[in-house]
Amino acid sequence: MSASATRTAPLPEASRSWLGRVAWHWRYDPKLELWIGWWAMIVFYQLYGLLFFLVTRIQPPPDPSFDVPRIVQWFGDRHHGLLIGFGIVFLITGMLGAVNALLAYSMRRMSVSPAFAYSYLLIYSLSAVPGMLLTCIALVVGAMRPDRDPRLISWLYDFAFMAFDGTMGVFLIGSLVWMAAILLDRNRVFPKWFGYLNLCNALTEVVVAPAWIFKRGVFAWDGAITWWIDMVVFVIYTGVFITLIRKMIVREDFGTGPLPE
Amino acid sequence: MTRRADGELILLWTLPVLAVLWISAFLLFPGFVHPMAPTMSAEEVAAFYRDPENLARIRYSMILFNWFGVGMIPILVLIVLQVRRMAHRTPILSYALLGCASGGPTLFLVANLFWLLAAFRPERDPQLTQLFNDLAWVTFTSQVGFLIGQCVFIALAIHLDRQPRPVFSKWVAHFNLLVAAALAPASFTALAMAGVMAWDGLVSFWIRNAAIALWIVVMGIVLGQAIYRERREPGVAA
Repeated sequence: MSASATRTAPLPEASRSWLGRVAWHWRYDPKLELWIGWWAMIVFYQLYGLLFFLVTRIQPPPDPSFDVPRIVQWFGDRHHGLLIGFGIVFLITGMLGAVNALLAYSMRRMSVSPAFAYSYLLIYSLSAVPGMLLTCIALVVGAMRPDRDPRLISWLYDFAFMAFDGTMGVFLIGSLVWMAAILLDRNRVFPKWFGYLNLCNALTEVVVAPAWIFKRGVFAWDGAITWWIDMVVFVIYTGVFITLIRKMIVREDFGTGPLPE
Repeated sequence: MTRRADGELILLWTLPVLAVLWISAFLLFPGFVHPMAPTMSAEEVAAFYRDPENLARIRYSMILFNWFGVGMIPILVLIVLQVRRMAHRTPILSYALLGCASGGPTLFLVANLFWLLAAFRPERDPQLTQLFNDLAWVTFTSQVGFLIGQCVFIALAIHLDRQPRPVFSKWVAHFNLLVAAALAPASFTALAMAGVMAWDGLVSFWIRNAAIALWIVVMGIVLGQAIYRERREPGVAA
């Protein structure tokens, strides 16, 4: 982890146990708040992948053109997965607070107006509600009563996947705010090419919009463009920013200056 | 000498008003004092909303809950401002709390909206009324994530406030972790239609809501103490 330590603190010994090193960072590491945000990010995205792909199996997404009996069967096939998996999602939602805080902080380190960090913080705090939680709530309500009128189960299915894929604005504008901050920044917090990678992520949110129109083909919510390309870009993007944020924290030098307000 | 109006104190003293709103709304809503069971059939749920004695109470109580939910945001922001006074190296924990302060009330309002929709046209097909009722109860009960996050971030912030006169005492951190633990099981409420875990059960309803009530009371008191102490300290502009 971080190499810097306050002058009075004993250096962490390599021979110490894992728990001993954690205790050292808890007590002495001046970058602790940053590392808490970074680890929240690692744990959250690992669990997110595990819960959405393996436990609930709602990703890769099912076919939007399923008929009503097939949708009811889809819920039946993953009844416990949905109820348990999304229970865990609800439990860990708060971790997003630390993740978004760290990403906003990266913008406070840049030579740009605080407007960028605050906009990003608001947009991404909002994004969890339509982009993740409403999806999970609709699927939980669909799963909890298998004897519900099948037409209503089918409505919950559409509600869930359109909330997940079709609330493009938050991620589109969020990525563009981050891109603009990186390209304007003179403190070189992130390399400029990462600014353009933000543009790639923003563009995936543009091409997802036709999912509101098409029920089959490359533009449907399970399509080659709307889902597969977008998911590849998103995974690369997330992997890259987790690495770059780690570099930013390692490089961070608070020195002995005054504490920030 | 004229005293300048102190905005933060005005916001702080909205809390007792909110508490009155909240207790009256809780007692007014006929589905809370004896919480509605998830095992009720669509016809029973529809009958609950169609009962003229219930219907007015459902509407008025949910309108009050709507005000209460948003009214909590300034109080949460006052807590964020106290966290900003702590001896931290970065604003990360106060940003994280700001995120939770917007998320929690938003989800409460979504639940509130579903209840009011169910009550708006109770003559609707009972299956639809039951759907709105399910969406309301599941959202209300299971969405504890931001509240848990809030408690954990406050606890972390207090532990990392390493100065001779910390803003909050250590016991407030332990109390917040305890509340977080009491809220946690409610995330899984949809797994049970009856028993302690169901949305009308001991754990998911009574313990969860008692923990939130206790949190508001205790945090209201320690927040008030911190704000008044801040004003007594020399060199602090109110």
